[in-house]
Amino acid sequence: MQESFLSFLGENLQLFLTYTGVYNATPGHLIMIVVGLLFIFMAIKYEFEPMLLIPIGFGMLIGNIPFKDAGLQVGIYEEGSVLNILYQGVVQGWYPPLIFLGIGAMTDFSALISNPKLMLIGAAAQFGIFGAYTIALQMGFEPNQAGAIGIIGGADGPTAIFLSSKLAPNLMGAIAVSAYSYMALVPIIQPPFMRLLTTKKERVIRMKPPRVVSSTEKIIFPIMGLLLTCFLVPSGLPLLGMLFFGNLLKESGVTRRLAETARGPLIDTITILLGITVGASTQATQFLTLNSIKIFGLGALSFVIATCAGILFVKFFNLFLKEGNKINPLIGNSGVSAVPDSARISQVVGLEYDPTNYLLMHAMGPNVAGVIGSAVAAGILLGFLG
Amino acid sequence: MTKKKIGVLWLFLLFFSIGMQAQRVTSIRINEVLVINEDNFVDDYGKRSGWVELYNGSAGTVNIGGCFLTNDKNDPKKYPIPKGDVLTKISPRQHILFWADGIASRGTFHLNFTLDPTKENYIALYDSDGRTLVDEIVIPASQSADISYGRRVDGEDEWVVLQKVTPSTNNLTLDSNEKLDNFKTNDPVGIGMTVTAMAVVFLGLILLYLFFKWVGYTAVSASKRRAQKTTGVVTTVGEGEISGEILAAISAALYELDEDVHDMENTVLTIQKVTRNYSPWSSKIYGLRELPKK
Repeated sequence: MQESFLSFLGENLQLFLTYTGVYNATPGHLIMIVVGLLFIFMAIKYEFEPMLLIPIGFGMLIGNIPFKDAGLQVGIYEEGSVLNILYQGVVQGWYPPLIFLGIGAMTDFSALISNPKLMLIGAAAQFGIFGAYTIALQMGFEPNQAGAIGIIGGADGPTAIFLSSKLAPNLMGAIAVSAYSYMALVPIIQPPFMRLLTTKKERVIRMKPPRVVSSTEKIIFPIMGLLLTCFLVPSGLPLLGMLFFGNLLKESGVTRRLAETARGPLIDTITILLGITVGASTQATQFLTLNSIKIFGLGALSFVIATCAGILFVKFFNLFLKEGNKINPLIGNSGVSAVPDSARISQVVGLEYDPTNYLLMHAMGPNVAGVIGSAVAAGILLGFLG
Repeated sequence: MTKKKIGVLWLFLLFFSIGMQAQRVTSIRINEVLVINEDNFVDDYGKRSGWVELYNGSAGTVNIGGCFLTNDKNDPKKYPIPKGDVLTKISPRQHILFWADGIASRGTFHLNFTLDPTKENYIALYDSDGRTLVDEIVIPASQSADISYGRRVDGEDEWVVLQKVTPSTNNLTLDSNEKLDNFKTNDPVGIGMTVTAMAVVFLGLILLYLFFKWVGYTAVSASKRRAQKTTGVVTTVGEGEISGEILAAISAALYELDEDVHDMENTVLTIQKVTRNYSPWSSKIYGLRELPKK
């Protein structure tokens, strides 16, 4: 009796062991856990996009705890599990438009309205998307996959998730993590190219201070912005519609509570859910593939192309502008839509060469134009390849 | 004023109803018909009979319960599709099949009429009011056995004798993505996509640029006119310059900061109008929607 009970206990313990993470761990899981820890370290130690890297990094830990596939509904890829339900916001593309609603409600487009020619820099920086698209095609990706990878160059996490969920859902995890990682690494990626492509004389160009923008102009902007861009690219409607709607909530002046909810609790909630589920979606078994490594390489390249395209476009544009109206090419990098980090980089690099030349306000123009530009580009890719 | 408000309300309802149209029965199409079924699809009873396929071309689920199918122009309500059956809901871009066996007692999807192989067959779908025609088709006489007559592509206008009988599935089976194949064949490097897409991105932002350049010009002119009208003095503040008031405010703020005059005060120096509304916890005013300004 006692012997059979002991053997029963032994069998149970043995069975339990097969359920543990230790038993099911693979080198892949451990690598991803280390990557997750690295994200958390970078967020806390260097404050690289902590709002994103902390949830994504911790999500990586959650997603890479190994477990036995016994239908317990714990994994993010198991239908009906809590994580899977939360992940639907990413898979179905609900979260990105809601994030855009919040971004719209917190963005001040005054810099852009006061100097609308800065919009063109936001357009030029989208070359990053299509540069990466052409290279991805050469690397053997299908056009729809190449489009989804290229959008990393837009430097816009929600847009990258939205588009990849439609064009190449199987690559979404790698694309999302790549986009957010490089957004966090903007302070490292961009400055060398900004210095390389500009002369000392160009770096100290002083731009005219922006004029004061009336509230009427600020109200007209989201309305006309929506009509002009979405009539041209209706497939960008989910992102652009929410972006401009959020901005109208802010600028109308009569929906203060709605605007505060959109730019506060709502965007925070969605950011938490988005970050944690994107991080958890990087399960080693699904994530550690050759394609993911290629996507990371292409992502870095797309950021570089976008940065260079923005700077070179400003230099080209300056050829046609009168003295006194010229644009400092150091704001060209902010055409990518990593708001407000890339604008901050313009400011920091600008101050290195002239401590009294404040470029932040000017750089915010192309920065927010980049948000619009990348959403338009995503709409085009979705229209062509969806 | 009241008439104007009613007009706006009607206009709103009109737009709203147009938007709703896409999700309604009007999106349903008679999609494929098999008149003579000798060696084809069998129903749940193991019987063969002619059938009528309906297709939901909209992006939303449509419930056709309560609508009518008929083969008689003078009797639009000949076969009422039963209400309350969950199976009458057709998912987006999906199909549903009705057996024309003349035995309605066999279930929701068994019509109370049959298709006559010796003559033309008229088939129509009416909305639940029995008057609004949703779709109709006349199937030519002398149909071949086990060959169906249907739309070449689901939901489109062209009717043909179909090469394959496709009950409850797409009439034209797509085994590839035409758009992607086109890009792979004609634009393997991606230059075409880059040029086209960048042109569209630039066009969109150039339109915004031109519009807001014009708006900015108009706003600056209007503000100058207003200032001139109020003070009678032509202001000298040009575009891109900061007005004297703003400079004075900034100077005062810098002075106060340097002199540590108000270092402990939790205040902000501004030239904007600041309202300090009383907000006790018990106040209900902040929970109420403000009345619109007239």
